[in-house]
Amino acid sequence: MKPENPVVAVLSLVVGLLFLSPVLYSIWMSFQTADAFYAGRVTFTLDNYERAVGQFNFARYLLNSLIVSGLVTVLGITVATLAAFAFARFTFRGGDLLFGATVATLMIPSHISLIPNYLTLAKVGLLDTYAGLILPAISNGFAAFFLRQYIRGIPKALDEAAYMDGASPLTVLWRIIVPLSKPAIASMALYIFITEWNNYIWPLVAVGRQDLYTLQIGLARLYKINPGEGLVDWPLVMAASTITILPVLAGFLFVERHLVRGITMGAGK
Amino acid sequence: MLRKLTPYLFVAPLVIFIAVFTYIPILTSLNLSVRQWNFLTPDMPFVGLRNYEELFASAEFWNSLWVTTVFAVLSVPLRLGAALAIANWLVRETLVSRLLRGALFLPSVTSTVSIAVVFSWVFSTDYGMMNALLAWLGLGRPQWLQDPHLALWVLIVVNTWKQIGYDIVIYIAGLQAIPQELYDAAAVDGGRRLHVFRRVTMPLVMPTTYFLLVISVIEAFQVFTIVNVMTKGGPAGATDMLVNLLYEIGFVLFDIGRGSALAVILFVLLVALAILKSRIIGRKVHYEA
Repeated sequence: MKPENPVVAVLSLVVGLLFLSPVLYSIWMSFQTADAFYAGRVTFTLDNYERAVGQFNFARYLLNSLIVSGLVTVLGITVATLAAFAFARFTFRGGDLLFGATVATLMIPSHISLIPNYLTLAKVGLLDTYAGLILPAISNGFAAFFLRQYIRGIPKALDEAAYMDGASPLTVLWRIIVPLSKPAIASMALYIFITEWNNYIWPLVAVGRQDLYTLQIGLARLYKINPGEGLVDWPLVMAASTITILPVLAGFLFVERHLVRGITMGAGK
Repeated sequence: MLRKLTPYLFVAPLVIFIAVFTYIPILTSLNLSVRQWNFLTPDMPFVGLRNYEELFASAEFWNSLWVTTVFAVLSVPLRLGAALAIANWLVRETLVSRLLRGALFLPSVTSTVSIAVVFSWVFSTDYGMMNALLAWLGLGRPQWLQDPHLALWVLIVVNTWKQIGYDIVIYIAGLQAIPQELYDAAAVDGGRRLHVFRRVTMPLVMPTTYFLLVISVIEAFQVFTIVNVMTKGGPAGATDMLVNLLYEIGFVLFDIGRGSALAVILFVLLVALAILKSRIIGRKVHYEA
């Protein structure tokens, strides 16, 4: 990397901090008492977090978000990898059509399935359950497409050698393709997790029971129960907001490069 | 025999999930859009195109279409223009450039609800960051989210703030694919910076621009979370975007028929937009890069 002109460096950092200032300030605000915040004084308290976690159930919402996003990620990546392997390695009747249909889901606006999916899950009695939150999110056309492109880049000779030794397709997938696709699988798992973590409209319609709220629903409700301008308990709301963004934020700092690579590779294809 | 079945077994889980939760719902929506139903009645009588007629006759539908179009037309060029300019600057491989890219990208993976809540505070009249800043500068004290002329602009700003990092990252990838020789040649010819940008950079990132244009317009027509959390479509319908109207009709009024008709209209609109764009812009895309 080239050295940077110090003036440009400092200016750039200021720009970056200014850009993120609303979020940074909201985190700072979450450690203020409401009285101090409205009076413009500076304090330090964990009271907002205690109230958010205890009185306002955010521990439960955090657990729900972890369960739902975790399961969607594990199931989603499994389903996508299985399909990607077949699309990359087998020629079969209807294969191109099915792959086309998978890629086309990227262009299909998700709102069209909102009411039908609600009715489907109501019919089988899965509204207000974890399964109802998870099932519609499992198929991920982008992950399947991305992994298929990646697997095509792995030399086919490796598979063929294994087949000669009598390996089954599942063994080839598990012993050869998956280990060699680890970076791509990790990127996609991350992408699925973050997308599901931040999902709002589906949990909003699929869940009415408070003990099944995800963080997103819990936060939106907490903000909205404050009756109007001026009466909002901003420090409490910001503590809840910080709990909502923190897991992704912390993860982001470790894996930013993976994530960016995943996204840009997908766009280039 | 088993050998022939193998690929089908591998794709089956994905295909089943896509069929049940993506493709069949399109047909279900079409079917529901010509029926009258509110969850409660045991049957759903066929009513022909009445739901569509009601929508086309209602002021709120045309308002939503207008508001959404304005949102898309204002926010997409703003996002892409700013993103390209910033990407053109941040494409340099320096530590500062890396850090700044990270900072700009952060909002695009952050919870939209959190962002909506945080910006509700930023733009709140009495204790918000924006009005504190304006007060410090000795300017007025607008009621950002309560003023029909300002609320949509606030949503555009928030959406741009959230999405621009993604656009920048994609543009940087596109810019990095441009061969250095082209810039060298332009430099030898004595091309000035702006000239080089217009004659070399802009045409060669056209495929990237096209990709971003498609997804950001689709995204703009589906904005929901920030509307639901920040304004609920108000004040006076000024931010009542199409998916918000769909949510209100379907899940607040429980008018499944009319909600489905709106979903179908929006679906057709987005597909038509995608086709139209590939017709118009497809020809101008330079793939040589």
